[in-house]
Amino acid sequence: MLASTSSVRATELLHDPSFYLRRQLLWLVVGLVLSYGAARLDYRLLRRFVVPLSVMALTLLVLVFVPGIGVKVGGSHRWLGIGPIRLQPSEIAKIMLVVGMAAWMSRVERRATDLKTGLLAPLAGLGLTLVLLIAEPDFGTTLLCGMVGMLILYAGGTRFSFLLVTAVAGICLFFLAILHDPLRLGRLLAFIFPEKYPATAYHLAQSKVAFIKGGLFGAGLGNSIQKQYYLPEAHTDFILAIVGEELGLVATGLVLLLFLAIMVSGLFISFRAPDTFGRLTAFGLTVMLVLQAGINIGVVTGCLPTKGLPLPFISYGGSSLVGALTSVALLLSIANAGSEQPDEVSRSVKDRTHSF
Amino acid sequence: MLGLGARLAFLHLGPHTAELADIHRNRTWAVEIGVERGKVFDRRGLENILALDLPVKDVCADPDAVVSSGQVAVVSAKLSELLGLPVSDVAQKLDRPGRRYACLKRSVQEEDSQRIAALHLPGVFFEDQTVRFYPHHDFLCHVLGFVNHDGIGSAGVEQRMDKFLRGCPGFLESEKNALRKEIYWKRDRYVPPVEGANVYLTIDQNVQYIVEKAIDTIDEGHDSLTWKGAWAIVQRVSTGEILAMVSRPAFDLNDFRAAPDDAKLNRALGTVYEPGSTLKSIAFSAAFNEKLVTPETVIDCENGSWMHRGKVLHDYHPSGRLTVADGLKKSSNILTAKLSIQLGDERLYQYMRAFGLGQKTGIDLPGEEAGLLRPRSDWSGISGSRMAIGQGVAVTAMQMISIYGAIANGGVMMRPYVVRQVVAADGTILEEHRPEETGRPITPETAALMRRLLARVTEPDGTGKRAAVEGYQVAGKTGTAQKPVPGGYSSTAHIASFVGFLPAQAPEIVIVVVVDEPQPIRTGGMVAAPVFKRIASEAARYLDLRETESSAVAMK
Repeated sequence: MLASTSSVRATELLHDPSFYLRRQLLWLVVGLVLSYGAARLDYRLLRRFVVPLSVMALTLLVLVFVPGIGVKVGGSHRWLGIGPIRLQPSEIAKIMLVVGMAAWMSRVERRATDLKTGLLAPLAGLGLTLVLLIAEPDFGTTLLCGMVGMLILYAGGTRFSFLLVTAVAGICLFFLAILHDPLRLGRLLAFIFPEKYPATAYHLAQSKVAFIKGGLFGAGLGNSIQKQYYLPEAHTDFILAIVGEELGLVATGLVLLLFLAIMVSGLFISFRAPDTFGRLTAFGLTVMLVLQAGINIGVVTGCLPTKGLPLPFISYGGSSLVGALTSVALLLSIANAGSEQPDEVSRSVKDRTHSF
Repeated sequence: MLGLGARLAFLHLGPHTAELADIHRNRTWAVEIGVERGKVFDRRGLENILALDLPVKDVCADPDAVVSSGQVAVVSAKLSELLGLPVSDVAQKLDRPGRRYACLKRSVQEEDSQRIAALHLPGVFFEDQTVRFYPHHDFLCHVLGFVNHDGIGSAGVEQRMDKFLRGCPGFLESEKNALRKEIYWKRDRYVPPVEGANVYLTIDQNVQYIVEKAIDTIDEGHDSLTWKGAWAIVQRVSTGEILAMVSRPAFDLNDFRAAPDDAKLNRALGTVYEPGSTLKSIAFSAAFNEKLVTPETVIDCENGSWMHRGKVLHDYHPSGRLTVADGLKKSSNILTAKLSIQLGDERLYQYMRAFGLGQKTGIDLPGEEAGLLRPRSDWSGISGSRMAIGQGVAVTAMQMISIYGAIANGGVMMRPYVVRQVVAADGTILEEHRPEETGRPITPETAALMRRLLARVTEPDGTGKRAAVEGYQVAGKTGTAQKPVPGGYSSTAHIASFVGFLPAQAPEIVIVVVVDEPQPIRTGGMVAAPVFKRIASEAARYLDLRETESSAVAMK
C-alpha cells in the first residue's frame, strides 16, 4: 500500500518512485530483527532494567531539543538525527511509559489505592513524559500517552475518583496548551466549523473524497487520484484514505478487523499473563496500539480533529513501524511466559499486519 | 471500534452523488490543443518564408498577489519600463486587491518576456500565445493578406487558403492532479491536432521585389511626378502562374489594423478602370481572326477627325491613310472604330466576351472584380466603336493581362493562379494547382500576327518606344484613358497603362503596369512604359529569358 501511495510523491520530489518503499523495507528488516530478539527475550528482564531504560527514554526525549542532534521538521522537534538515520524518540518513550508504569504499579500492588503511591508517584513520571512530548510539540502522542497512562493506573488499582479528577485536570491543561498554539487551535476550530476554515479543513475534505470514490471494492491498486497531491501526507497519517480509495471498504474494514483482533488477543494475553507486571504491560501496549489506530481512523474518517498520529504498521515512518513491531514482540514474549504454547491468534495477527 | 466501522461503511457506500459530481467537475480537464497556422512560402519554397506563426507571451498579473506583496510601486515601475507603458496605467491595473487577473500587454516578444521573467516580480505571469508574423512587413501584402484577431484569414492568400492554413485544433479530455497537471493514465479522449498546412505560392520573391521597386520609383526620370495609386502584375505566359502582383499604396501586414481600407485594396484585382487604347487589341484581333482585313489593308483615317452617327472622334496623331498595321502602331482611334463597324456590334461583343471582359478571371484570391461589359441590349449606335477603343467598358488589370496573355500564348487563355501547392505538415500534398485553359478567343495564326504587330509599338517611332528592352523584342500597347466623371470624361484625371510581353515572338512573361492619375505627365507611353521597361529588363535577366537575335529585331 505504501508502495502505491508514496510513489507519486517520491517520483516528483526525488525522481525515484520506490524511495519511500525502500526506506520502509529497510526499517521493516530492522524492526523484524529487533522484535524477533524481543520476542525471544524474557519480558521480566525489562522490569529489572526499568530505571535505566526509563531514564534513557526520557534523555532521548530531551535530546530532541539539543541543536545538532535534534532535527527540527515543520516547526516540531520530534526527531533525532544520527547520520542518515532519523529516530522518533517518542516511539521509545511510548513503550517505556507503559513498561515503567506497569513496573511501578506491579510493585505497589495493593498500596495502589493510596493517593501518594497509587496516583501522585506514577503521575509524576507520566507528567514528565507528557510535558516533554507536548513541548516538542506532539499533541497527538501526548493525548494518546495520557489516556494510556490513565488506563494503566486504572487497571493497576488506582481509585477511579482520583483518576476522574486527574483526567479533568489533564484535559483542562491540554486545552490550555492548545489555546496557546494557533496551529492546533485552527485544526480544532476547522473540525468544528469546516466552512469557516477551508484551508485547514481541506485535508479532511480530501480524505472523505477518497473514501467516497473507493466504494465497496475501490478503484484498484495504484489507481488512486487523491494521492496525486490532492491529499497531503497521503503516505503517512492519511494512508488509510488511500487504502479506502484503491481497495474499498473491503480493505478498510479488514484493517479495522485486524486491529480488533490485536485488541482481543492482546487483552487475552494480558488476562493470561503470569504476573501483574506482565498483565499491565500487555494491557498498556495493546491499548496503546489500538487506541492509536482508533484515533488515526477517527481523524481520517472525519470523526476527530486532525492530529499527527500515524496508523501503526501501515503508515510510512521507520520509528513508528519498529515501535509497533516491538510492542507486538513484547506481547508475544508475555504470551510465551503465560503458556507453553505461543498464542496462535496473536502470531497470525502479527504476520498479517505485515502484509500492508 | 464499531462506531468507526459504521463511519467507514457510510463514507464508502453512502449516497454521495452530489459530492461525486462535484469532484468530477473540478478535476476534469478538457482542453483544446492549439495548432500552429501553416506557413506561406514563395515558389522557391523553404528558403523564402513570407508568413509564419511566432510564439509570443501575454504579460499578465494577479493584482491581489501584487498588492499583498506590498510592491505595487516597484512592480509597476519595472513593468512600465520594460513594456513601454505609462506607469500610471500599469499601477492602476495592479492596485486592485481581490482581483486575480489583469492582462497588461498582449503579444510581447519572447526576448522581452524573458527579460521580465528574470526579475521574478511577485504576481506577474505569462500566457502563451502565437501571433502571425510577416517578416517582410509590406512586401507582397495584398497577395498574402492577413489573419484577424480570431485567427481567421481575412484577406489574400490567408483568406482563400484559410481552411488549409488553419489546421484543426486537437482535443483532450483527462483528469488533473492537485498541481493542475494531467494524470496521463486518466486520459479519456484525445483527438490529435492537425497542424496547419503550408502554402507554396507561384509568386517569385525576386520578381516581386523587382516589380515593387519599379512601382515605388515611378517618378524616376520625371520632375515631380505625382500619382494616386499604381499596380502591376507579372504572369508566366504558358501556365498562367502569377510571378508578381503589386498594388500601391501598401501597408504593413504586421500592423494591418492601422492601415486605411484604401491601402488594403488590392487594386490589381479590385480596381475597375476604363482601359483606353490597350483594349484596341481586341478589335484588331477580331478583325484579323474574322479575316476582314490584313495588316496591309489601307483605311482612311480622315486626317484625325471623323464624324460618325452625329459624334466626332479624334485621333491623337492625325493621319490620312494608314495600313491596319500602322493604325495599331500609332494607336489610331478612327481606324479602330472603323474596324469595329466592319465587325459589327454582335461579333465585337462576342470577342469581348471571349477575351473575358465582364467576367472574373477566377484567380485564387479574394476581392476580384468582374469589370463592366454592358449587355448588347444596352448598347447605343456608337457604343461598339467607342468600346473598341476602350471607352464605356471597364476592366481590371488582371483581365487586361489575360487578354495579352492569350495573344502571347498562341490564342489560348490560361486561368491565373497564385497558389502552386498546399502541403500538409506530414508532407502529403493536399492540393496542387495545374495550368488550366479557359478559352481560345483567337486562332494561333491571328495571335502570331498580333504579336508581330504589337512588337512594332515599341519600335523607336511607336507609342510604346519607352518600353523597349535592350536585347529583347518587346510586344505591347500603351493606354491613356480619361477617367469618367459625371457627365463625360475628365480632361486631367487619366489612367496611364502599359501591357505587353517578351520576348515578342516566343513570349515567356506578360506584364501589366497601371498608374492612376499621374500628374502632370499623363500618358501611358510616358509614365507606364518606362516602369514596364524596368520590370521587363530586370525580370528577363533574372529569369534568364533567351535574348532575341538581333536579325529578328532588325527584320521588324
